[in-house]
Amino acid sequence: MDNLAELLHGFTIAVTAPHLALMAVGVLLGILVGVLPGLGAPNGVSLLLPLTFGMQPVSAIILLSSMYWGALFGGSVTSILFNIPGEPSSVATTFDGYPMARDGRPTTALATAFGSAAFGALVGVILITFLASWVAQVALAFGPAEYFAVYFLAFASFVGMGGAAPIKTVVALAIGFAIAAIGIDTVSGSVRLTMGIDELVKGVSFVVAVMGLFGIGELLVAVEEEFHARAVSSKIDWREVFRAVGRLPRHGVALLRSAAIGCWMGITPGGPTAASFMSYGIARRFSRRGRYFGTGEVEGIISPETADHAAGTSALLPMLSLGIPGSATAAVMMGGLMIWGLNPGPMLFVDSKDFVWGLIASMYVGNIVAVALVLLTVPVFAALMRIPFVVIAPLIVIICVVGAYSVSNSYLDVVMMLGFGVIGYLFKKLFYPLAPLVLAIVIGDKAEDAFRQSMLMSKGSLGIFFANKLVTCLIVAGIALLLLPLVLQLARFWRKPASPAAGATSQEKVII
Amino acid sequence: MISRRALELATAVLTGGFGVAVVVSSLDNGIGWSSAGVDAGTFPFLTGIIIVLGSLYNLVRGVLPVASLANVPIAITQVELRRLAGLFVPAAIFVAAIPLVGMYVASAFYVFAVLAIPRHQSVPHALAMAGATALALYVVFERMFQVSLPHGALAAAFGL
Repeated sequence: MDNLAELLHGFTIAVTAPHLALMAVGVLLGILVGVLPGLGAPNGVSLLLPLTFGMQPVSAIILLSSMYWGALFGGSVTSILFNIPGEPSSVATTFDGYPMARDGRPTTALATAFGSAAFGALVGVILITFLASWVAQVALAFGPAEYFAVYFLAFASFVGMGGAAPIKTVVALAIGFAIAAIGIDTVSGSVRLTMGIDELVKGVSFVVAVMGLFGIGELLVAVEEEFHARAVSSKIDWREVFRAVGRLPRHGVALLRSAAIGCWMGITPGGPTAASFMSYGIARRFSRRGRYFGTGEVEGIISPETADHAAGTSALLPMLSLGIPGSATAAVMMGGLMIWGLNPGPMLFVDSKDFVWGLIASMYVGNIVAVALVLLTVPVFAALMRIPFVVIAPLIVIICVVGAYSVSNSYLDVVMMLGFGVIGYLFKKLFYPLAPLVLAIVIGDKAEDAFRQSMLMSKGSLGIFFANKLVTCLIVAGIALLLLPLVLQLARFWRKPASPAAGATSQEKVII
Repeated sequence: MISRRALELATAVLTGGFGVAVVVSSLDNGIGWSSAGVDAGTFPFLTGIIIVLGSLYNLVRGVLPVASLANVPIAITQVELRRLAGLFVPAAIFVAAIPLVGMYVASAFYVFAVLAIPRHQSVPHALAMAGATALALYVVFERMFQVSLPHGALAAAFGL
């Protein structure tokens, strides 16, 4: 019960007036980016990141994670009221949420969504509370070879389970690795991949990459389509809120199943988007009222929302305990951790107990704050949707430019940020996944160092990756995940020769 | 109008080109095994090779008539292209103007131009928002967070 004592200590850190205020600010900003189409949790968190450099790490992570919760909730608001998913992960919520709201039950739809989302988040946080320190303890015994194996497994699971075209995932990953290698090599001290540009010696900060990829890139995708926001009434009937939440336990099976799917997809880097789609699909197949899905079914809202939030929350588990983020947003936060001078991974649980448990405690409180604030502010943010996109777009561009510049006062960073914007747009448009690219930029260096250290230990023999049971299991699992798409392809080919890739196009929608 | 195929090809060429640059550049650092362990260029070299091979695969997939590509022949229509340019071109000009006139002037002009020239907002309205943007940047960065944003060559010429 050590964990509970630590957690209580965490509450004393998280539940202080300044931190509660930060949570409220974070959640409100999060709802804002969640509500605005073209901005999501990864963008919001990366836009806010430069402002946290001067803060205490605990305060900074509380601000960023609260923003994450807010964005997850905010995305559902627009899905339900406007049929416009503010976040890719709330696309599945539109399927039943919007029809229900259109039928004149917007309060029921919103309350159901928030209630199940809060449940999903709670399951995720409980999982982190009890598993994270245990995972970290196991990981403390890791040597470089084990670390490399874990990184390898993380990268491989993006290829095997990410949902994007496998080769495109591989290319995105490798580009991320190459970008991470730019600058001074930490092992030998030599300068790499500057391609004749001296200023690149400092390397490419991941903040610059994320600002471009998620900020500008997503803006370009959003500007292409014109949004026609046709709101249904956004009035909240408070009694109906409690009635809708009270009805949730009747759908206990759907809640638990979706939470389980969400946690699994969050820990493995499937991400919230894939989790919500998967959960919706499974619910439609197994629910007794499955054929009514799409017309405003309660379980059609519960399933994607619970899974979305469970995945979003549990994505922080591998980030905290192993130093491997489970989603794009977690990758951005982890980059922040490194900038604040913390070393994500098992040592965090030893070196920075206050930080870890303060964060975990803040997740409990932050989600409660988020539910309360999102319910209170639905009418306000629904009104915000009427601000024309042309006004918001230049402001986002300016935030990205200033953010990229302020990382290291370099104009080159601003230009690169714009370049990353174009790449982000192209990748998004052609279904190259962005999450593995960001992940590789953030932990590419660490993976490489782990590999080279293990090579030094073994004097160049790859045998070190099969030296004990643990490392062999991890490597074999990684290889299996890498080969999974190939095997599936062969199986499909064998069963139905030369079938058109119908599966591929439906899958393409699920990419983060 | 840009076809999905053309876009796939262009992106594959772009990623492939980056891969080649990585491979060539990493050769300077030495690849393989030396007394100090794995040489600094080895890892980038391998990732470069993977990028090139993957891009070649994507390139071939883009050229071959694949069913999933035929479903979406057009990736960007004329109208969409104009909207994209409408966002990106002013943003690029804004970035290009920063070294010259500084962040504050450039961002104010940018906001004004984007709002007033296509007549999304009235001129006084756009002016007000442009002023507010520059002021907000100044207060938040220069004052609250003590981050000095570029003031530009113009300000330097005036001795500011």
